[in-house]
Amino acid sequence: MLRDIIVSCAPHIGKPVSTRRIMVDVIIALVPAVAAAGYYFRIRAPILICTCVISSVVTELLCNLIRRKPISLGDFSAVVTGIILALSLPPGLPVWAAIIGSCFAIAVGKMVFGGLGANIFNPAMVGRAFLTASFGVLMTTWMVPATIKGVKMSKIAPENVVDARTQATPLAWSKLAIKQKYGANRYSEENFVATVTGEVGGCLGETCVITLLIGGLYLLVRGTIDVHIPLAVLLSAFVFAGISYLINSYAYVQPFFHLTSGGLLLGAFFIATDPVTAPLTVRGKWIYGAGIGALTMLIRIFGEYPEGVMYAVLLMNAVTPLIDRFCKPVPAGGKPR
Amino acid sequence: MKVDIKARLSFPGGTFPPESKELTRDSEIRVGPAVKEVAIMLSQHIGAACRPIVSEGNTVQAGQKVGDCDAFVSALVHSPITGKVKEISLRSHAVLGRSPAIVVEAYAHNPTRHPSFKLYDDFDESRYSSEQICEAVRQAGIVGMGGAGFPTRVKIEPNPEMPKKILIINGCECEPYITCDYRIMLEWTEQIMAGVKLAKKASGCSEVFIGIEDNKPEAIEVMDAAVRTYGDGEKIKVVPVRTKYPQGGERQLIKSILNKNVPTGGIPPMIGVLVLNVATVAAIAEAVVCNWPLTHRVVTVTGEAIANPGNYYVPIGTSVEDLIEFCGGVTQKSAKVIVGGPMMGVAIADLKTPITKTTGAITVLTKYQIGKTKFEKRQTPCIRCGRCLEVCPERLVPTKIAHAVKNNLLDVAENYYVSACTECGCCSYVCPANIELTGYIRTGKIFLARQKKMMPA
Repeated sequence: MLRDIIVSCAPHIGKPVSTRRIMVDVIIALVPAVAAAGYYFRIRAPILICTCVISSVVTELLCNLIRRKPISLGDFSAVVTGIILALSLPPGLPVWAAIIGSCFAIAVGKMVFGGLGANIFNPAMVGRAFLTASFGVLMTTWMVPATIKGVKMSKIAPENVVDARTQATPLAWSKLAIKQKYGANRYSEENFVATVTGEVGGCLGETCVITLLIGGLYLLVRGTIDVHIPLAVLLSAFVFAGISYLINSYAYVQPFFHLTSGGLLLGAFFIATDPVTAPLTVRGKWIYGAGIGALTMLIRIFGEYPEGVMYAVLLMNAVTPLIDRFCKPVPAGGKPR
Repeated sequence: MKVDIKARLSFPGGTFPPESKELTRDSEIRVGPAVKEVAIMLSQHIGAACRPIVSEGNTVQAGQKVGDCDAFVSALVHSPITGKVKEISLRSHAVLGRSPAIVVEAYAHNPTRHPSFKLYDDFDESRYSSEQICEAVRQAGIVGMGGAGFPTRVKIEPNPEMPKKILIINGCECEPYITCDYRIMLEWTEQIMAGVKLAKKASGCSEVFIGIEDNKPEAIEVMDAAVRTYGDGEKIKVVPVRTKYPQGGERQLIKSILNKNVPTGGIPPMIGVLVLNVATVAAIAEAVVCNWPLTHRVVTVTGEAIANPGNYYVPIGTSVEDLIEFCGGVTQKSAKVIVGGPMMGVAIADLKTPITKTTGAITVLTKYQIGKTKFEKRQTPCIRCGRCLEVCPERLVPTKIAHAVKNNLLDVAENYYVSACTECGCCSYVCPANIELTGYIRTGKIFLARQKKMMPA
């Protein structure tokens, strides 16, 4: 019984954690958000999510075959990218656009760089940015949640305002209030609860705050993500939103409204925490998160776009290697003399 | 007044592997096999190897010196048994590879040695001068028995350029499975106290701290009682520290007890500290008081597959094969035989590898304990999760260093302080991608040292 012993280097035991288990945890944490998407947008949710996941997986498989590398689907990262991309798309997006977006996300966002771990930019955000640039109108056409009685689920352009509930998205209204310099306080009072429960227009997965918080809490408790990045993003966004609100509460909505609308929570817990594109050190993670929060608010307040999370994440992704360089830890015994 | 066991003193980083000490923690130290043959390796220490001073056919007595060395940083070797020198040939060493060893064949009536230290009431360490103690330690061939194997005489000898003020006795035993130091603290308490006072006298330290992890409350109480009985008002104190791997590393122990960092690339005497393992200290007592060299040591033979795991007092030079057989062999199909513990031990292929002065345990692991992922070496690319940075006790960036070494970028590895790594294994333990970080870093250290030797800057 001691004949077939093996020799390999220490340590000979390991914690029962693996890349696949981390990805599975993220998928589990997204289930509440997926359920909310199904509840509010009915059939569009499974259509888009399945489309994105299948296209991502097939693209990664094809890329592996073309590059003649071992099949890397076992780490489930393509599935996670697919789900996150789907949840950040408008529910009315045609299926062919979702396919193109997923293929671009995996092929150009990840595989071209060398596969998992080598990409600089968040693949899901790369896909979404490509779709926003290429199919701008499709990406800003929203749907009313199916739960709102009396209004059929239909595509509404931001200009055709009927009443607050059938409005495009909370952030579009917020942007209107900034331009008109009034209406922000009334709007945020009337609709804050709706942003929390998710009965508003928006991307598939970003509307219901409760489900996103549940998912985020699950990840924190399981130890899949650290608290640093989400906390940094939310605190930083809150501070900048708060400053704008204090300056002019008629033009700018209150800071909690900013936290609960748009993709900020989805971004804070699921997109910004992507380990590959975030800094390694704790200090770096705080700088990264704070940057994302600040840039998101900058775009939401001063930019033309109503929503800024996607670009904020991509910009901070670009800065991550620099953050890592400057946050290089000093060894416990000090620098060698 | 009882010592407060629940300790909070600790160091940054570190991880919590399952302790698995219940297999052997309650096994009293038992005498090991009556061996027919021992292989005394000529290099069981850091420093210059010994040269044999006996040759084939010579008769040797138990306790006789068989290897000598004139270099300052070195240690003598002795035969643990009475017998005839069979040959001087190569045996496997976990770190050095095939190295020369003196093989002694035991005579038929070779009495097995039992641990037999007795502290008499008239023991008074002031009877011995520092020089006498150091010379006795040198003659006994004592080296650091916690695993490093640094010649103890060189360590404790007072050095006017680097005076040592604080002596720390390392009773932590942070590796999973190993319990030899724990049993020594419970059963050889008087011997350890005598050794502590001798080491304190020899090195010129004024204060002693005995660091013990808080998963060993009985040892803490026993040592604390002994300090109060034998302490004689000298500044000796038992300090419980938080159980975390690698608390037993000397740099981490110094950080926990004194909250001071040993400079990178430096040694503890640079900040006036001396760290000795409890087994080493017990050996010092035996050398000075009983005039007996380092010929035997306590080894924990453990693992879920071993029939009779326990702590055994074995002659140095016993082969791993003989020891495992003495413990009843293995009862399940085993995957690895490790000299040492599962975090830092070395997996061996040759079961005739002899026990050396630094071997604290033989751990036999099955595939189930290793885990399917590690056993089948399922790896994914690094996902930059940062877990390795969080657990590194030396505050390094293991993933950057490992990938630099993998791509032969030794200057980048040096930039990330590869030589500061203590090879504790925490980074590989927590890596979700199952990358062999410690292995790459260790390779990087060796390559870098070789490169520097070839091109002195």
